[in-house]
Amino acid sequence: MRELVVYLLCASIIASGLLAVRLASLMAAMVSGGLASLFAAVCYVVLGAPDVAMTEASIGSGLSTLIFLYAIRRTAGAEDSAWRS
Amino acid sequence: MAEGILVVSAVLIFFGVAFGVLRLMLGYTLVDRVAAVDLLTVVSISLIALDAHVAGRFIYLDVALVYGVLSFLAMLAVARYLERGF
Repeated sequence: MRELVVYLLCASIIASGLLAVRLASLMAAMVSGGLASLFAAVCYVVLGAPDVAMTEASIGSGLSTLIFLYAIRRTAGAEDSAWRS
Repeated sequence: MAEGILVVSAVLIFFGVAFGVLRLMLGYTLVDRVAAVDLLTVVSISLIALDAHVAGRFIYLDVALVYGVLSFLAMLAVARYLERGF
């Protein structure tokens, strides 16, 4: 049962990471990256490390999402420049 | 009886995660994806609470609490961004 939950969470982490790489919109990619760290935090809880999960949830899902949001707002849609191949 | 309730909630959480990830991958607009992430956050909190009950470790509920507050703040920031635009 517990292994099944861990496998489901790992598949969700992989799906979120692939989406964060593949999505064209910066905002959607940022949300998907936050989702990957959210699933990682739940995975840590299921594996029995609540303190690691709390740190991952506060830094990975909360703080880095806010910092990325601020950065996207400051650079204001620069994804349409020469970086896209 | 209690076992049955736990199994039903585990099945519901499974389908919540599955359909949430499906909506995130298919999502037509950005708002769909943000709503899917919010749904997955709530489902994850319920998964943590269920695991706290099954494993009998109630310190996991603190993680669920911190998680709920932080995801609320992140969704608030994203919603403010979506309303104001660039």
